[in-house]
Amino acid sequence: MSDSTPFPPHLAAEFLLWFWWRSERDATVFDLPAPVGRVEAWVDDRLSFRPPGGDRATAVLTGENPSATLEARAALAGGKVLHDVRVHLKRDDREYTLQLGGTTLDVRGLKLPKLPTENAEEALLDRLDRYGEFHLVLQGLFAAFAAERTGPAWKQEAVPSLAAWARPPAS
Amino acid sequence: MGILSGGMTVRRFRVEGTLSAGWRENLREQLVNMAFREPPNGQRGEELEGWVQIDDLLGTDFANPNAWLIQPWVVFALRVDKKTLPANLLKATVAKQCREWCEERGAERIPASEKKRLKEELEDRWYSTQLPRVSLVEVAWNVVDQVALVGTTSEKGIERVRTRFHRTFGLELHAWSPLDDLDDTLLGEDLLATTPMAGGVA
Repeated sequence: MSDSTPFPPHLAAEFLLWFWWRSERDATVFDLPAPVGRVEAWVDDRLSFRPPGGDRATAVLTGENPSATLEARAALAGGKVLHDVRVHLKRDDREYTLQLGGTTLDVRGLKLPKLPTENAEEALLDRLDRYGEFHLVLQGLFAAFAAERTGPAWKQEAVPSLAAWARPPAS
Repeated sequence: MGILSGGMTVRRFRVEGTLSAGWRENLREQLVNMAFREPPNGQRGEELEGWVQIDDLLGTDFANPNAWLIQPWVVFALRVDKKTLPANLLKATVAKQCREWCEERGAERIPASEKKRLKEELEDRWYSTQLPRVSLVEVAWNVVDQVALVGTTSEKGIERVRTRFHRTFGLELHAWSPLDDLDDTLLGEDLLATTPMAGGVA
């Protein structure tokens, strides 16, 4: 059975890196085109790294704000790429957390906003609706990454800025 | 962790193929045809699989549409049962029974056919009293958007669902790629043409 458009593994890692960088640069705010609009999103309490050609995490950082640690920057400086990150998303008053990553951007442990529901059927429908909203935001974030990654400013502006951001501070 | 409750671990698929007129009744029949069934002679070491209702792993008749059709979603689960005997204990017990067989008959060796019979009898006894390990993979299929969510990221579990989905409904599940959703196909092509950033960063 064939699949949809093949997804090169480097794009998953680069999307996660772009997300981390943009989130820190813009104080977690992403203004995405309609229908998504403004969302807040950031790397939460987990980051993992893998070698560029690998498909498994070889270094995992957890705890409070691991993205701010020297170890995280050192992993990037050492040539590792992101394998997965725990992401926190907020759209209006609805909040989502999940582990996003792998070579195909798998969604693991997605925690959805809770809604008061009357019965099991409604509860399932609400969960699927909430998943739909999460997916819409993910699509919006990926489209923003795609536009920037293929745009004219990527090499001249984004890459130098990203490299400076990723560099561990001199001791 | 799946679709029905808890943290949602899912992989997304596009469903390829069209639903015929009268699809509601067809889907119910197809789910029932490929539902989970206990074999009449009991389960041995083989894996058994089949569809069950998403909220009831014993529910296989799909008689109540509210249990599997929550418009626009069709929801169900793949149940997989597996019985495994402790191989080292089985081997030791067969060896003991072989020794006893020889002692009773004053024989030096037990014929291979007799050893095979003893082993099969022991397996039958043990399998008949052992409960299976039961796993469930939930599926939610949006029949309007032709999107399906499969509640696992395990490659083995995914392949099992895809294969049975195809055998059941004659439709294929194509793994979702983030590139599928880009409005601008040229953007997707440009993205595919990119080479990895050197050293992961620059």
